[in-house]
Amino acid sequence: MRLYQKHQINCEYPKRKFSKYAAVLLLWLLPMIYASAQSIDVKGTVKTIDDQPLPGATVLIKGTTTGTTTATDGQFTLKAKTGEILLVSYLGFISQEVPVSNSKLSIVLIQETQSIEGVVVIGYGSVRKSDITGSVGTVKVKNLQSIPANSIDGLLQGRAAGLQVINSSQDPGAGSVVQIRGGSSLRGSNSPLLVVDGFPLGDAGNLKQINPADIASIEVLKDASASAIYGSRGANGVIIVTTIRAKEGVTKINVKQQTTLSRFNSKFNLWRDPILMAQLTNEDRTNANLPPLYNGTTNSSGVYYPSIQELSDGTWPYYTEWDKIVFRNTPISTNTSLNISSANNKTSYNLGVNYYDEKGVYIKDDYKKGIVKLDIDQKVFDNFKIRTSNNFSKGYRNYNGGLSYGRNPIYPVYNPDGTYYLSSATDYYHPIAITDNVTNKNNSIDFLSSWLFDWQIAKSLNIKSQVNYKYGNSIGDAYYPKKYTEAGDFNNGAAQINNWMGQNLVSETYLTFDRTFKDIHKVTAMVGQSYEYSMNRSSNLYSYDFVNEATENQNMGSGNPEKNIHDNGFYKSKLLSFLGRINYSLKDKYLFTATLRADGSSKFGANNKWAQFPSAALAWKAQNENFIKNLNIFDELKFRLSYGISGNQGISPYQTLSRYGVEKYYDNGKWSTAIGPGYVVGSEGDDGRFKIWGGIPNANLKWETTAQKDLGVDMGFYDNRLRLIFDVYQKHTSDLLRERLLSLSSGYNRMWVNDGEIDNKGFEITVDGDIIHEKDFDFSASLIYSRNRNQIVSLGNAVTSGLSTDFMTGMKYEFWGTSLSQFRQTPNILAIGQPVNVFYGYKVDGIIQTEAEGLAAGLTGAMAKPGEFKYVDLNDDGQITDKDRTVIGNPNPDFIMSLSLNTKYKNFDLEVFLNAVVGNDILYQNQWGQPNTSPLRWTPDNLTNDYPSLRQDRSYYLSDWFVKDGSFLRIQNVNLGYNFNTAKVKWAKNFRLYFNASDLYTFTKFKGYDPEVGSDGIYWGGYPRLSKWTFGLDLTF
Amino acid sequence: MKTKILSLLLLLSLVITSCDLKEDPYGFYSEDNFYKTPNDAEASLIYAYNALTFLEYSRGIFYIGEVASDNCDVKADEGYGSQQLNNWTADANNETLTYYFKYCYIAINRSNAVIENVANSSFDVTVKNRLLGEAYFLRAFNYFNLARVYGLVPIQKNMVKTISQASPSMAKNLDEVYNFINSDLRMAESLLEVKRSVGRADKVAAQALLAKSYLTIASSKESGVAKYVDMNKDVQKMYDSAAYYSGKVLHDQAEYSLDPQLTHIYNVDAPDGPEHIFIMSMDRTGQNEGNYSKIAMMFQPWVDGTPYYIKNPDGSLTYTTNGWEVFKTTAAFYNSFDATDKRRTELLVTKVYSATGALVGSMGDKFSYAFTRKYVDAQFVGQKSSAKPYLIRFSEVALIYAEAVGPTSEGYQWLQQIRSRAGLGDIAPGLSAADFRKKVVQERAWELAFEGQRLYDLRRKAMVTTADPRAAAAGITEAQAAFYPIPQMEIDLNPNLNQ
Repeated sequence: MRLYQKHQINCEYPKRKFSKYAAVLLLWLLPMIYASAQSIDVKGTVKTIDDQPLPGATVLIKGTTTGTTTATDGQFTLKAKTGEILLVSYLGFISQEVPVSNSKLSIVLIQETQSIEGVVVIGYGSVRKSDITGSVGTVKVKNLQSIPANSIDGLLQGRAAGLQVINSSQDPGAGSVVQIRGGSSLRGSNSPLLVVDGFPLGDAGNLKQINPADIASIEVLKDASASAIYGSRGANGVIIVTTIRAKEGVTKINVKQQTTLSRFNSKFNLWRDPILMAQLTNEDRTNANLPPLYNGTTNSSGVYYPSIQELSDGTWPYYTEWDKIVFRNTPISTNTSLNISSANNKTSYNLGVNYYDEKGVYIKDDYKKGIVKLDIDQKVFDNFKIRTSNNFSKGYRNYNGGLSYGRNPIYPVYNPDGTYYLSSATDYYHPIAITDNVTNKNNSIDFLSSWLFDWQIAKSLNIKSQVNYKYGNSIGDAYYPKKYTEAGDFNNGAAQINNWMGQNLVSETYLTFDRTFKDIHKVTAMVGQSYEYSMNRSSNLYSYDFVNEATENQNMGSGNPEKNIHDNGFYKSKLLSFLGRINYSLKDKYLFTATLRADGSSKFGANNKWAQFPSAALAWKAQNENFIKNLNIFDELKFRLSYGISGNQGISPYQTLSRYGVEKYYDNGKWSTAIGPGYVVGSEGDDGRFKIWGGIPNANLKWETTAQKDLGVDMGFYDNRLRLIFDVYQKHTSDLLRERLLSLSSGYNRMWVNDGEIDNKGFEITVDGDIIHEKDFDFSASLIYSRNRNQIVSLGNAVTSGLSTDFMTGMKYEFWGTSLSQFRQTPNILAIGQPVNVFYGYKVDGIIQTEAEGLAAGLTGAMAKPGEFKYVDLNDDGQITDKDRTVIGNPNPDFIMSLSLNTKYKNFDLEVFLNAVVGNDILYQNQWGQPNTSPLRWTPDNLTNDYPSLRQDRSYYLSDWFVKDGSFLRIQNVNLGYNFNTAKVKWAKNFRLYFNASDLYTFTKFKGYDPEVGSDGIYWGGYPRLSKWTFGLDLTF
Repeated sequence: MKTKILSLLLLLSLVITSCDLKEDPYGFYSEDNFYKTPNDAEASLIYAYNALTFLEYSRGIFYIGEVASDNCDVKADEGYGSQQLNNWTADANNETLTYYFKYCYIAINRSNAVIENVANSSFDVTVKNRLLGEAYFLRAFNYFNLARVYGLVPIQKNMVKTISQASPSMAKNLDEVYNFINSDLRMAESLLEVKRSVGRADKVAAQALLAKSYLTIASSKESGVAKYVDMNKDVQKMYDSAAYYSGKVLHDQAEYSLDPQLTHIYNVDAPDGPEHIFIMSMDRTGQNEGNYSKIAMMFQPWVDGTPYYIKNPDGSLTYTTNGWEVFKTTAAFYNSFDATDKRRTELLVTKVYSATGALVGSMGDKFSYAFTRKYVDAQFVGQKSSAKPYLIRFSEVALIYAEAVGPTSEGYQWLQQIRSRAGLGDIAPGLSAADFRKKVVQERAWELAFEGQRLYDLRRKAMVTTADPRAAAAGITEAQAAFYPIPQMEIDLNPNLNQ
């Protein structure tokens, strides 16, 4: 720093000072000199695109040195002759030429980064939008910023072609699942890399550190030409976020306020008739030859169940609608931002404060977050800038979700003496007792800091060096009291403290050469290097058995010292990279891009430390060819073709090394620590009783490789008012990170290998239309359609991978994911030739009506009785065995689609945003035995073919009876805004009020609460989708 | 000026670039940072012992050794391949047999790790000898178990460090297997001292196991058991070796002896009793199953769900709890005991009581079988107990000796000592060697009941199909009963088996 200052004072500063004053002097003097000439008074204003006056802009008569600068209100007056051209310019804005006319001129200057012929930020640089050779989607950020959100990720749903976002959790502060062009990894991440202002932060999904209101643009890099520059982290695509910077010459104070009310948008499926519930429960048990439950006795667990008589004659007076107790009626959340920004031609800053307060729908389930940010840009010399961003955020989460709202309605909340009504000594599910007595909270701190040094060495040579630092810290506190909780009861009080801390340091330096030769050869070349260090460490403290509970987990030492448990972890990794890119454009018609990145990662095996990721792309701007121009159809017609290889790191730190295990052995009467080769990497069998052993090193372990082809067409018609982007792609991922089986005699069971292949292919269409564009009325629409087909090509050697074989087709598969105890089976499989996560199970052909029918179907015993599922004997061997299983559903959608309709009338604007997911299956695992289905049961009097009888001891096979169409169309967002005419209001520059409704209504055949489930397609219940009603204010001084 | 900025930037990038990508383990042990000190080696030795405590191994002892014999049946809905074992229909996919196989090799790999690293170390020679001796013992113990269950098995002599070592070759014949076992044990015997340490092996354990190994060869070959008949070993010499090493245990040491009181042997809190030459180590204060045991749950019946008491010979009561009644004593076995045999009257429970001594239930009403009290833990915590498998007891060595020396006066004397302790009278004098050995094997059934030994006695005496009615019902031959198949998973994944 001192170095710069010294030079600044000694040589640079006076020189620049002079030139600046000289220019100003000249500008003021020149009009005077020519004042006497024959001319007219030209008046006008210069404004920015968002209607801000632009003071200090230069207005010059072209070909002369005559000119002026605009005043603070953006106005200028100047004498000029008709026929002359005015050249209006301002630093950082695109210059404009305006013919002199008698009427008052209104000139709008467009910022360079926001120009229509705009610049798109790509990795390690930016390109003119029309010069893009890869597939890059641009999100219209403005539409998103009226929607309150903890992070921008969830809002991207439907906003860019090829981007799939799943918001299956509605908990306060919850993240999202983000995928670009399908999943291509089984054991590694499928989330795209998120890069904020050049800082690669990691997996997309929850960018809680950045206030969504501070985001200026979002680019989605989809094909290899665009993402391969991120090498071993580019295979899942890249999302590039650019935040707002201060605009030169303007001081702005901006206040944003959002107040959000949430309501469930569908009804609960709960027992509202306890007598019917009791009758059906008794029927369920009687059919299983069990004594009825509701019979006025205490059962073996010590719970008293009143008889149906007691329930119906009022002897049992209690009835509770637990959902009304467990959920807040209308949680109100707020989001407040204050932003002050100012810039002159040397220094600019941006100071922002944000407070986000989200109330969950469960009582006391809360999330609060505050962000303070300070960005300072300093032009140290004319050709040397420093740009810094600093972002500090602090979050607080109180967990109280998952309370039992489906608790038996015959239980009262309290006993007559005011204590909690517990059904038995082991009733650990009383929602109010839990809310009042359990502590479970988390405090987090995040800090992002980024320093960019930008030196324009020469006209066509620039070097940028950026150093980024991220720090995150979270501390979880929990206490489970002796009463009301299982953990507390078993352990006589259970206390926890969970600490986590992570840091990232990224340093990148790259040199860019940019020059046009002879007006036809435009070359941009970049070379650079990058270094990244990341680490995280955690420690978890557990204490049990407290004499006095008053201090909860505040004094872990007061627990029984013999029962203390500590564990901790530490991971660190380094990534060293060299990268380069060349863009060549010939006559602004033919474009060529090539990139190469070499990544060396500490996480890779010793024999495979370095990976190379090349890409190349060609584009043809056909609209610049005369024969296309002459057609007078296309304003843009660009063909793009790209191919490249990118990677997915997948591997965790230390995964390639040998690893020993640590156990305890009761050695001669005392516990001793035992250490040796092999450690437990998983478990299998009932309740995971059998251990799986790993720890054998694999020095060859490496990244997953994705080769992607993309063919795209960009078209513009009717003065570019209709734009169409079409992309078709094919992704082939090989070297999938998987575990292979080892012979039992090795002393290990599993070892990490690169083995397996997945294909994703699909196409994407984006249609944008500015359909009506009139003085007071605008109407535009944007349609996005994405279709991806995913297929597993290989899972490696069937034997060493331990694959099973489908009896009928010979298809090789393995079970994958969560096992569901109801079916004693994992519903999802990975099968060769099938998409990831298809459901595997039996087929059901209605309900058995007669025992003969059941026996004929190959069923035996209780399963052949009337009222049972009629499973289909697919292999025709006369019996129902696990050989009758087949693929019964696919949770991957056929396509996803969204439609955004925008209209503007005078000061009003309205956006309606629809989002649809079509063709995916959901495993509606809990559709049976619910208040809405049990009454429809099969009985001898109701010979339905849709529902089985109630029988508590039935074993359920996983069947297509539980698989439902999960397609939906959602009115995702409606936003109505009003912009006050600030021309008449002196104190405000911009004033907007708006009303926003999100998740307004969902059209679906799915009968569960909400069809938006995780990518494995398993429906877990949860609670209905919340509609959010937001009242917003956006005021700029 | 510009050059200064440039050099600054270059410096910045250089400082940051000067890193190497080698990854060092942090927070865990690996071959890079372990086996540096005798303490490391000690920790790795007990890691090898601890492999035996995992339930796949410790329960396998009973699922295989007891359920697949005339001693026990298994609960009707018990899984893990136990029905197949009980009914003699086990195939290569049997879950228990697969997991038992796997854990033998986990223990072997852990033992190999000790042998390899300690042998090359510069530790003090006494420490080194003990560590190596125990590791050789443990390796042999596991190969011996493998040989008894599966017959021919792959022989892994080195610690597996890379995948290239992960597929050991199959032994050519039983000679190769037993030569390896016996040479390890002789090595252990010469390296170790007589020094009791609960849960560990010493010189006496090595001698006892050697005797057991020789006896297995001798009696199996003598009985014409498949594959053993082809062994290039002299039966008498094998008996002599068994007698030699068991004799050393009986005569040459003072640490271990017969426990005069039967119930004391099975006091789960006295694993250092005089009989226990080698015992698995588990304690109810442990965190995970394996560290503590649930063996008591496996043997004890469910009676009404409230904890019950059993009566001791002195009339006092011992607290215990309802079990899962997985291992059910067969009526035939219960009835085979002499009515006055203390191992029946004191060690098999047919009546349970309340805290006040009131009868709560007895065999035939509240529960269906006489259950063993060898694993009763009065201090159990929930399902956690200190009950542990008895691996080598002094009485077994006495019976090995008697069987090896045959109907000599010393043979009679040791057999009689075991019988007298159980309150039984003398056996007829002047028996032939074959008849005498039959008596010894029968005595073993009673003495070592529920200790996971019976199947192997039936096998080495080629009497599986005659003794276990379920084996007879399955219609298998003695040759088929002699070994279980190598697990299919091993056949699929080990290309060097060449079977």
